[in-house]
Amino acid sequence: MMRALKRIPAGWWFISPWLLGLALLFIYPFVASLYWSFCRYDMLSAPRWIGTEHYQRIAAELWRGDGFGQALWNTAYFAALSVPLSIVLAVLLAVMLSWRVRGQVIFRTLFYLPAIIPLVASSILWMWLLNPTAGIVNHLLGWLGLAPQLWFNGIEEAASPSTLLSFGSKDALVLMSTWGVGNFMLIYLAALGDIPHQLYDAAELDGAGRFRRFRHLTLPMLSPLIFFNLVLGLIQSVQAFTQVYLVSEGTGEPIGSTLVLSLHLFLAAFQDLEMGYASAMAWLLFVILLIATALLFRWSRGWVHYRASLGG
Amino acid sequence: MQANNIDRLKLATGLLLLVLLIVLTATRPRASVPAGREEVVFWHFWGGHDRRVVEEIVNRFNQSQDRHFVRAVAMPGNNLDMKMFLAVTGGDPPDLINQDDPIVADWAHRGALLPLDEIASPAEIEQLNGWLLPAARQLGSYQQRLYGLANGLDIRALYYNRTLIEQRSGQPAPRQLASIEQLDRLAEACVVEDPDGQPTALGFLPDPRRLWAWGVVFGGAFYDADTKRVTAADPANVEALQWMASYRHRFGPDNLAAFRQGDQSLPGKTFPLLAGRYAIVLDGQWRVRDIRAARQQQLEQGQPPTEYGVWQLPAPRGRQAAAEGWVNGNLFLVPRGCRNAAGSWEFMKFWSGFGGHEAEAARIASQGGWIPVSQQVMDHPLFVQYLEENPLFAEFVRLAAGRQVPTPVIPGARLYYRQLNQAAGRLLYSKQELSARELLEQTTRAVQQHLQRLERHDAGSAGGGS
Amino acid sequence: MSRHRQPPRWGLALLVATAVLFSLPLLWLLVSSVKPATQLTEDPYSLLPSSWQWGNFREAVEAMPYLVYLTNSLILCIGTVVGSVLSCSLVAYGFARLRWRGRRLLFGIVIATMLLPWHVTMIPRFLLFRELGWYNHLTALIAPTFLGDAFFIFLLRQFFLSIPEELSEAARLDGLSEWSIFWRIILPLSKPAIATVALFQFIASWNDFGGPLLYLNDPQQFPLAYGLEQFVSSYSDQTHLLMAAAVLFTLPVIVLFVLAQRTFLEGISTTGLKE
Repeated sequence: MMRALKRIPAGWWFISPWLLGLALLFIYPFVASLYWSFCRYDMLSAPRWIGTEHYQRIAAELWRGDGFGQALWNTAYFAALSVPLSIVLAVLLAVMLSWRVRGQVIFRTLFYLPAIIPLVASSILWMWLLNPTAGIVNHLLGWLGLAPQLWFNGIEEAASPSTLLSFGSKDALVLMSTWGVGNFMLIYLAALGDIPHQLYDAAELDGAGRFRRFRHLTLPMLSPLIFFNLVLGLIQSVQAFTQVYLVSEGTGEPIGSTLVLSLHLFLAAFQDLEMGYASAMAWLLFVILLIATALLFRWSRGWVHYRASLGG
Repeated sequence: MQANNIDRLKLATGLLLLVLLIVLTATRPRASVPAGREEVVFWHFWGGHDRRVVEEIVNRFNQSQDRHFVRAVAMPGNNLDMKMFLAVTGGDPPDLINQDDPIVADWAHRGALLPLDEIASPAEIEQLNGWLLPAARQLGSYQQRLYGLANGLDIRALYYNRTLIEQRSGQPAPRQLASIEQLDRLAEACVVEDPDGQPTALGFLPDPRRLWAWGVVFGGAFYDADTKRVTAADPANVEALQWMASYRHRFGPDNLAAFRQGDQSLPGKTFPLLAGRYAIVLDGQWRVRDIRAARQQQLEQGQPPTEYGVWQLPAPRGRQAAAEGWVNGNLFLVPRGCRNAAGSWEFMKFWSGFGGHEAEAARIASQGGWIPVSQQVMDHPLFVQYLEENPLFAEFVRLAAGRQVPTPVIPGARLYYRQLNQAAGRLLYSKQELSARELLEQTTRAVQQHLQRLERHDAGSAGGGS
Repeated sequence: MSRHRQPPRWGLALLVATAVLFSLPLLWLLVSSVKPATQLTEDPYSLLPSSWQWGNFREAVEAMPYLVYLTNSLILCIGTVVGSVLSCSLVAYGFARLRWRGRRLLFGIVIATMLLPWHVTMIPRFLLFRELGWYNHLTALIAPTFLGDAFFIFLLRQFFLSIPEELSEAARLDGLSEWSIFWRIILPLSKPAIATVALFQFIASWNDFGGPLLYLNDPQQFPLAYGLEQFVSSYSDQTHLLMAAAVLFTLPVIVLFVLAQRTFLEGISTTGLKE
């Protein structure tokens, strides 16, 4: 027995904590959730098999555009806007932070701070900021000559989703989430520092101006990271819960416009006590993410440039 | 190899400390209970001023007897549903929880709650049923058994700005509204416009979330217990919703959404009546406190305080109001699997006033500004005096003893609530013209399907394994 | 240093303008924390407090068992940092510095686990922890970090990959076991990356209130992040205390960040994340 154990490559021993975690925290929940998605389950009594009923219901809701369908639309809207916006903002902020100016530490801290403010407080802050009449965001828009937007008070738009009248509650959520780009901004900043300055010098000698250098040198160099950010950002935005819950007080108000998948799942599981239905939705979410990630990987071949790496 | 041993030592010490840390965390003792007493863990979600009131009540209870000791836990966050549910599932539920009514049926149905007849004697239960106001009894009952003891009722009525109405309509405000048509007339008379002709204040705008109230007043019902059918699309409900939708164009095209969007904050946070945006607002008895505070401030600033009043909800002309309004409330619930149900029962009686505690209950209700759940508490001299000092509140208490219809106590009540509010909201605020009947029928279908699913799944287990 | 690090002429102005815009909510947070409660309900939008209520901070601290919460937060943070650092460095070493069959596939699975939404795993995990007796204990939040985290494993693996293979080769020739190489050569060289993981984990644990929401019922176990929630009750309006508490709550992390900035950036930079 000891001899057999000794023959296992060291690598397996080193990753054993993760293997244990994989079994307990991923494989078991994975299988359990899948099983429950075919059951009627309220957590208080044992699950009872009911076949594909939950999936049929989800299909019907997708068709009608309510329930899961509504939540999916809200989530897709949110992800499609917030992820690219976050990436753009994070990259730009990182570039600005990479300049040699006085007080770099202060700027860095200021830009990172929003990522660590407790969500409880920042949600309330943003509700004030986005108030249609007194909030500063609309005042700023006014200075820029733009009309004031309704943000969380956009009930007309929320009630008639086929028209996109103004910036409404979902757009407000997007704004709130992009404020917290601090984490990825730092990662970009570090990566910027790794780009050999000789490349920039050469480009400058070739006569490339600041913006050209950015477009043709910085961006391609950052592209693997941007891709990583894209995938992770997609995963995170699709799972976004806390801020939406706090802002809508757990209701998806106004008129279900902020009912993202996470919130809908939460309500189905803990208010309607339909854990099986919630599990089916969670599974579908996973499948959607898998497909989306696979598609992203395929698309990335067109624009992500990998440098010669040092191994792995 | 010395270095190796020192390293090993460091590692060992570090790991030991860590294990110690984790053990300490895992075995942290709970707050101590006085000797000879049994603990009652009580979860609630009151905060700020209300929380202090709750703590005083708990102290008085603990001092009044020596068998039980209530420990009140102000559970953070708005929503105790999930926590409570997980606690019951996790096998470590509190002994008593204060929650609002929509969950009673769902939890009772799934056996998460102890019916009160398992904690109290049959004689007590019979007495309790007679002692409670009808609304309070209905809120806590599921399938003819009492699962929760109400500790406060929420009643809604029409607050109005007497000063503004007299100014704008040229007549003193009526004592009570004779009909809904009178409400409409006053709503139109009290419009205030700015020089550009844009309204800055309106008389009244209906809130889609209050279809529950208007539907009942129009004579509708939202659930038929005899046929077990969801009746959201009851003709009276449709009529009520259509009346609400009539306000979409009452002051100009599409004004409902436009004007509501100008309200200073998300619906429900501040009281627009005080901000002067409306002359009449439908809301619950908790606003009495806000009005009192606002009037106090006016007095302090040397201004003459605005006069406010309260009207009962009116029915359409010529129709006898089937009910006076819509009621919901807070309930004490006892989770199944708790340790000290007897202690919970004692505390519930103390707070609500049942079993001879009317004086205490009167005191509690006055302190917290809550509506008592029994006529006997309402009639207690302490509370009568409180009502004399608070005439607006007295009106709500009077209504509470009348014909109030609760939200249907059925599983899926929360779903019903969400769906109906969304449907009404869509009708009132959408850019398009939608059909009230269609929206209500959609809601009916959704909730009915939910109930049918539940029934089907329950039946699937009878005679089967698991 | 290369000239391209020099900002354009309009650089400083842009930086300052962006910083101001970005920090507006923060300014509100600071200002709101010293406003009186009445002003917050009537006029939350103004940037000037009607009176400077420094007592808000004292009141916020006294409104909850601050010391208990703080201790719990520290236990949680230290415990999770140790857990993450130990487990993730071990696992990352296995993936980066050793060659064995199946390594690529398993690492792919590591990445794939990041795709699994928390909704899928939340309730099963809850049930598992309940069986283990960890429900209502901080252990439920600390123990899982000893089983690794995909993101940190990824970070550390990248860093380990950048350490020259020759070091390990030489050590192996000297007869050192893999464990010794890991513990006495690789780890000491990886201080920046370890510091980065520690910092990220600390901040995440400090701010975590989803975990306590799910697993903790006993106020004696609540960390500060969860205690903050009690100021947000639909039945009361203690926003001024919430803001004051939020300021107090964020200060330690700010200090930590300012002090650890340089190490932090070093740690990520050599991880590359460039594949």
